[in-house]
Parts: sequence; structure tokens; C-alpha cells
Amino acid sequence: MKITLVKKIKLDGSLCKKCEEVQQKMEQAGQMTLIDEVLIADERDPSSPGMELASLYQVERAPFFLVEREGQAPEIHTVYFKFVKEVLNQKTREEDELKEILNDNPDLDFL
Amino acid sequence: MAENRLNTVDLDRQLSEQTPQEIIQYALEEFDNIAISFSGAEDVVLIDMACKINPGKVQVFSLDTGRLHAETYQFIEKVREHYGIEIDVVFPEAAAVNKMVREKGLFSFYKEDHKECCSIRKIGPLRRKLLTVDAWITGQRRDQSPGTRTSIPVIQDDKAFARPDDSLTKFNPLANWTSAQVWNYIRSNNVPYNALHDKGFVSIGCEPCTRPTGPGQHEREGRWWWEEATLKECGLHAVNINK
Repeated sequence: MKITLVKKIKLDGSLCKKCEEVQQKMEQAGQMTLIDEVLIADERDPSSPGMELASLYQVERAPFFLVEREGQAPEIHTVYFKFVKEVLNQKTREEDELKEILNDNPDLDFL
Repeated sequence: MAENRLNTVDLDRQLSEQTPQEIIQYALEEFDNIAISFSGAEDVVLIDMACKINPGKVQVFSLDTGRLHAETYQFIEKVREHYGIEIDVVFPEAAAVNKMVREKGLFSFYKEDHKECCSIRKIGPLRRKLLTVDAWITGQRRDQSPGTRTSIPVIQDDKAFARPDDSLTKFNPLANWTSAQVWNYIRSNNVPYNALHDKGFVSIGCEPCTRPTGPGQHEREGRWWWEEATLKECGLHAVNINK
């Protein structure tokens, strides 16, 4: 299995806030050692490796994870806690999961 | 992975050209286990449309956060009786609400922001409900949040709420409609509506977090007005991706 993490650099040159938060969480949890490659999706450069990967898989969110297993179709994960549970087989806290869902989908609070 | 996963990207292109009624009809034909999310506001049009398309197949749920206006509870009941349908009213986990209130009080959202409260009172029960269905229908519209870069598709693969190794399809039939179109439908079809709308409320949520808006104000200004506008920043600019 090969796992690629794609982080976004925004148009102003800074790292996107969520990418920063996710990376921080992963470092604290020792999960970065399970990542084989980290690519940058630089919004200022459509040909940056991360932007090309996003275009190839029609991903519209960052960060995202590309999971490649031999003989299987590649999987894209845009929800960190699901990636942690389903790919890394590690536990997550429900309150963190719910907050991530709301942060990623700010229009849900209109429901 | 579910083998019957829809290609929602292609379908979104096709369905975006359709009317909300056609989108709902497609959704009801495509999925047996599908539910409408009803907030007790103008998304009642979804129920009206679905009842006219296939009255026997309308499954509706509402999130009762425990902090709704009395008018909203009365309206949910009115809709239940008017259409003769069951409405599954779902509640937050008592233990989670109790912990938050005990530690932070009943109005923590004014001191921090609304996200923790919304996570516990809305997102938690929403997730529990959505684990029981294969597809859901919402009244979300693009014009509700013009400040974000979010573009709400008509149909989407809902990865956030899907069961593990399964798929969940989300329909937003009103995505391309404006508030004016929704109200035109309500008036033309004599659809019942929440009494709060007659008191100046455009967007209706929980009582402490909703206020009437004045002329020229966007409906979002009636919600969480004490917070700064939060710009969503984790989308990858489609313009760049498509180049």
C-alpha cells in the first residue's frame, strides 16, 4: 500500500489552515511515518504535482489522501477522521469527527 | 466499496439542467431508502414536491436541537398533519449535551463560536440518522452562503456521512433556485410555512442563534451575527485544476 498526502498552498503563498492542522495532528499521533509521499498542490501553479493529482482524480478539497493498493483501484480520502479509521485502522474521538464534518461543510449548520 | 455507486459528477451536470421536481423524482426512483431533511423552514417545498410525485414514498426527518423556536415546533406538527406523513424527529445525545452545558453553560456559543454546539446538537444526530439511509435530500441552496467558495451541487457523493465502505448520495434539488423562486413556489401552491417568516425571519435555525433580517440584508446575517464571516479555505480552486 502506498499513501500520498496532498497539502495545499493557497494563492497568497501560505499553507491552508486545515492542511496545517491535519499535519499537526498526524505528527502528534505518529501517523506521518505511515505516509509514503507528501505532495504540494500549489494554487499558483496548476502544474504542481498536487494540483495535477487533484485534477486527475477530480478532488476539490485539501488536504486529501491517495491510497494505492496493488491490484485495486486507487482510493481518495478527503475526510481525515475517516482516513484514520478506515485506512490506518486507528481510533478517533467522536467530538473531533463531528467538528471536522462541520468545518468541512459549513453550510450544514443551515439544516 | 459499494458497487452501485453513482457517477455523481456526470449526473450533476445532467441534473443541474432539471427542475427541482425532476431531481426529486429521479432521487425517489433511484433510491428506496431515501429521506428528506426538513428544518422547519422554507425547505417544506421539498415535502410538498415529493408528496405530489410519490406520496407513499416520502420519508422525512427533522433535527430537534432542543433550542428551536416554539413556532418551528408548531410548524413541524402542522406539516405532519397537513401532508399526513410521519416525521422522524431526531435528538442529540443527552450525555454530550449535558457535558457541554455543565462545563460551558447554556450559551457557550456566544462566547466561543457556534460550532461545538452545532456539532453536538445537529451534526451528531444527523450522522446517526444518515447511517440508516442510502440517500438524503436537503433544501440547501447556493444563494444561502454567497460569502464562501462552496458550490453546492445538485447531487453529490456524501463522503462525510457515508457508512464505512459504503456510499451515501446527497441531493440538493433547490441548489440552483433562489430564495425568491422558493417563495414563489410556496405562494403559488399554498404551501404552509413557518409563522416566523411573517415576523421578519428569513433563515430559521435555533432560537438563540437566529434573528430577523432587515431589507437588503442577506439571510446569513440573521444567523450567528456575533461571529466574523468565516471563509472556507480548503477548496482547491477549480479554475486552476481545470487548466
